[in-house]
Amino acid sequence: MTTFADSAAAVIDAHPGAGRLEAWRAFEEVGLPSSSDEVWRYTPLSALGLEDRAVPAGPSTVAPTDAARRLGAGAGVVLTVVDGYLAPVGELPDGLEVVADESGRSHTGQALYERYARDAFSLLNAALAPATTVVRVAPGAVLPGPVVVLGLAGTGASFPRLRVEIGRGAEAVVVEYLEGGRDGLVVPVSEYALDDDGSLTLVTYQRLDETAWQVARTTGFLERDARLRQAVIGLGAHYDRARNDAELRGAGSANELRTTYLGRGDQVHDFRTRQLHLAPRTTSRLLSKGAVAERSRSVYTGLIEIEKGATRTDARQTNHNLLLSSSAHADSVPNLDIRENDVLCAHASSVGPLDALQRWYLESRGVGRVDAQRLMIQGFFYEMLEALPATLAAPIEADVAAAVGEVARAAEVGS
Amino acid sequence: MTSTLSIQGLRVAVGDREVLKGFDLTMSTGEVHALMGPNGSGKSTLAHALTGHPGYRVLEGSVSIDGHELLGLSATERARAGLFLALQQPLEVPGVRPLDMLVAAGANPATAAARVREEAARVGLRPELLERFVNVDLSGGERKRAEMVQLGVLRPRFCLLDEVDSGLDVDALAAVARRLSSAVSEWECGVLAITHFRRLLVELVPTTIHVVRDGRVVATGGPEIAERLEREGYDGFRAPRA
Repeated sequence: MTTFADSAAAVIDAHPGAGRLEAWRAFEEVGLPSSSDEVWRYTPLSALGLEDRAVPAGPSTVAPTDAARRLGAGAGVVLTVVDGYLAPVGELPDGLEVVADESGRSHTGQALYERYARDAFSLLNAALAPATTVVRVAPGAVLPGPVVVLGLAGTGASFPRLRVEIGRGAEAVVVEYLEGGRDGLVVPVSEYALDDDGSLTLVTYQRLDETAWQVARTTGFLERDARLRQAVIGLGAHYDRARNDAELRGAGSANELRTTYLGRGDQVHDFRTRQLHLAPRTTSRLLSKGAVAERSRSVYTGLIEIEKGATRTDARQTNHNLLLSSSAHADSVPNLDIRENDVLCAHASSVGPLDALQRWYLESRGVGRVDAQRLMIQGFFYEMLEALPATLAAPIEADVAAAVGEVARAAEVGS
Repeated sequence: MTSTLSIQGLRVAVGDREVLKGFDLTMSTGEVHALMGPNGSGKSTLAHALTGHPGYRVLEGSVSIDGHELLGLSATERARAGLFLALQQPLEVPGVRPLDMLVAAGANPATAAARVREEAARVGLRPELLERFVNVDLSGGERKRAEMVQLGVLRPRFCLLDEVDSGLDVDALAAVARRLSSAVSEWECGVLAITHFRRLLVELVPTTIHVVRDGRVVATGGPEIAERLEREGYDGFRAPRA
């Protein structure tokens, strides 16, 4: 059996340059994190088994599931990316360009291995992703329909990388979808660059196989008056870690981030966020809501950083967790780091079970226990889903409703 | 077909305190009974215990509909056996829409939306209020009208009203009372109205009045009971010795 290291070396040999070797060396120097590192404390890293997860030399042969097809049906453009390899792209509407960028550079202009120095998994992505899929929306363009990036993962380790560039005053809706990855490791790195007045509505939707590991990192770069609305939905994977950052670089820029997760079985959903306010009058709204059933657990760690000079910043962070069994666990750690006085900043968090009296009220109308729980859990997520773009809401809501149904039944067994 | 609700020797504790101490009451569908008594006499406890509220512990006794025992059943099963409770303060259930709740409670999904609109019109509830989550952002009067909408759609055999008249304005009180009176004639709903005011009973005329003191029914009768209450107050009705 090919080991991770051997297959990684083969990929780097086959695609030399673009800073891959530097990234690999930096990874070797940093090494995989261990559970004794605070930010990896809840990660069962000993079970990762990286050595057994070979990097494919090309895209695996995988077909999209019905769920992926339904999502694609509501799209204006579907881009298929298998194990990080962009499939041939059909005709595109005016104002949209899609390319595979093999330069190995971040939106910031830095080499990826410099930009993501000391982040072991992102360094692996820098070394091993075939290319960056770039979705570029021309200045002033308003895309007629959503762009769905259908990410499919095979069984080994795969490293998809995406960059969405929204030109000055342009508007787009993009869905970053990920499925597959049986017994695999998927390490996506994404950047969203919004020029002045640009607007991006983004849905990051993870429904990987229940055996998969995901370690994802996304960063938004927002220039003056840009608006990034991002919904992150984590339904799948055995271990689901997502770090979602936003750098509010231009005055008046706004970031809204909603993260949603549903845990079952032994799943771990681990969400990290960082809102970095660098300019005046920037706003961030972060709402994270998740439910954990059976023996699953969730971690939410959010950091709001406000730099000196980012006056009149308005930053809010909210995290609510629903505990659906006595064996499930949720940790919530909000952090603030404020270096400016003239700001508004607030955070709130809660962890608790379904309200027993509300459930009794529904039951006393004749609603059965599982249905009552299903309605209440669905209700808990209602505000998360109402932000979805209309053309895509139905398939995603149906998926979430099905998952909620399973969780409600699991909660009944567990209670 | 007439059904009979029978409560026998019911003893219920809230926390460590026994509140109902051998409560007996029998009523049939198509009848309107009023349960009157001073604060703390156990009236609300009866309503909550009957519908399986988690805070109330049944120590002893029997509650049955047509001989079918309810006390071992879940709250859902009791509701489906025909018991409906209208609360003094209807609970908010954020995130759950009234229509979804009613369909999950057994209303016909094909007709439920239209039925909800009809019932809302009958009690003067603006239909857009039913787009809100269950009882969320409704005034006290609107909540009680909303529960009458639930009643009209679910058509239970027996409706227990737990002091629905408290804090209700005159118009809302009349709307609720009219809806209940029609429920009695439309499907012979049996109504057990718990109250310590007489206001409700002007609009909703009871066939039988029970006076409760200290966890037991101490008198049962017709309109003459109400007259006696008017003259003597609750002090005229002494609890029998245990």
